[in-house]
Amino acid sequence: MGTIDPVIEIRNIHKSFGGFVAVDDFSLRVEPGEIVALLGRTGAGKSTVLNLVMGTIGPDQGSIRVAGFDPYAQFRELKGRIAVSFQTDRLLPWRTAVENAELGLLILGVPKAEARTRALAWLERVNLKGAQDKYVHELSGGMRQRVSLARALAVDPAIVFLDESFSQLDHATAGKLRRDFHRIAKEFGKTCLFVTHRIEDAIEIADRAIVLNPGARIVLTEEITPELRADPARVRACHARIAEAMGGEGEADDQESLAPVTAG
Amino acid sequence: MSDNLVATGRPPLRPVPARKASRRGSGQGDAVATLVVVAAMVIAMQIASGHVPDYIMPSPMSVLHATGDILFGDRMHVLVTLARLAAALAFSLVAGVIVGAIMGMVPLVRPFLRAIIVIDTGIPALSWMLIAVFWFKDTETRIFFILTVILLPFYAMNVYEGIRALPKDLVDMVESFRPSRWQMLRYMIMPHIVPYIFITTKSVVGYAIRMAVFAELVASAIGIGSRMSLAQSSFRIDQVFAWTFLLVILNIALQWGVSAIEKLFLKWRPEVAVR
Repeated sequence: MGTIDPVIEIRNIHKSFGGFVAVDDFSLRVEPGEIVALLGRTGAGKSTVLNLVMGTIGPDQGSIRVAGFDPYAQFRELKGRIAVSFQTDRLLPWRTAVENAELGLLILGVPKAEARTRALAWLERVNLKGAQDKYVHELSGGMRQRVSLARALAVDPAIVFLDESFSQLDHATAGKLRRDFHRIAKEFGKTCLFVTHRIEDAIEIADRAIVLNPGARIVLTEEITPELRADPARVRACHARIAEAMGGEGEADDQESLAPVTAG
Repeated sequence: MSDNLVATGRPPLRPVPARKASRRGSGQGDAVATLVVVAAMVIAMQIASGHVPDYIMPSPMSVLHATGDILFGDRMHVLVTLARLAAALAFSLVAGVIVGAIMGMVPLVRPFLRAIIVIDTGIPALSWMLIAVFWFKDTETRIFFILTVILLPFYAMNVYEGIRALPKDLVDMVESFRPSRWQMLRYMIMPHIVPYIFITTKSVVGYAIRMAVFAELVASAIGIGSRMSLAQSSFRIDQVFAWTFLLVILNIALQWGVSAIEKLFLKWRPEVAVR
């Protein structure tokens, strides 16, 4: 992996808001096809890191390269290369499920008919076949989050950012969606950076889990392999290490949600 | 021009009963109440017309005859007024949306446009009518000008308020796909302001009819306003009542039409039940 250019490279970034240091000398490399989870308690700086990588805000110091571009200074250059799935579904209420799923494609300039076909295919992949003509208020929370995921993945981005995308869902729905996302991300070789406060999100999806303390200081890095996921004892040990690094936080009280997962 | 016609925030939630049966019941109740009020007015007119001269209060029957005469003989005047109203409303809507969008999206010109609108809304409608008589020779231009300067600010202000009320989380979501300015307008801003355009249209349509008739009364020889003026000068109060009756019907029909189109455009919006 080391010989391949990283898809995301963050070097010694700093970001302050007024007197508050949100990110202090944070560095990270994410390799192609890798899924990295950033965990941490509230205020650890994980969302700030994600906003910096998405180009929503710029760093005070340091450099960020996403797919070879500076996401803040070259904001438009990342069109079609990245996609984001947010904590809440953020669906446009005046569009149906399939119209929401095709939004990114239309913005990319994909012809309407092709965009519709691709959006329908992605809705099917996230198990929403038959719900394409429903408006947002006619969908359940889990279905909305699936549409949101389909919308992000439909543009076929090299990089996907997830911002607490499963945290608003109940454990059963979140678990199902996590497994679907992991399967799709691996099948299509997506590089993914996601922030979460749920330890089970990281264990079920990520190849690497990074725990941050306030100031986005890295306190723990855990490699999560398919073998680890298949072994309940190792999963529990991994969970315990992450929970300890998070200072006892992290929603993982539901041990059933940590059931072994088969990758791919 | 009353300021309360300019909505200052999101379109208000329209209270509707929770169950369909009670909604139907409420509609029937409204219709019955309207019929009762109309019947009471007709009875009052009939009684009053027996005690005062015809030129003060005509009988309901003479008003009905006059209405029939208008419908058979003066339909052209109704159509002319409607055409003037439609042209001015359509232009005000389009131009108002453009001005409102510029106000919402170009901060540099926003204070100047807002100042123009504040000054415009402070000028009485009568002043605009008299100014139009001085400025324009052509009758149609006069009426179009009067209606436009009165209606356009409502659209501009409400569209501007609509853009101000854009949900930041949805804007951030669309921005994450790196859209062009035009794409942001097409996929996010325009659909978001549609409810604001409808609420403005519903708010101003009755007002626009009154202004159109008033403008015709001052500046035109054809149209409902001019016919009402003629009826007044020839002491035909039955015709004044008949025209008034037709204007009320016209207003109700236009409101109903706008609501029907709104339902078509906003079918995505769930009705909220407020208990």
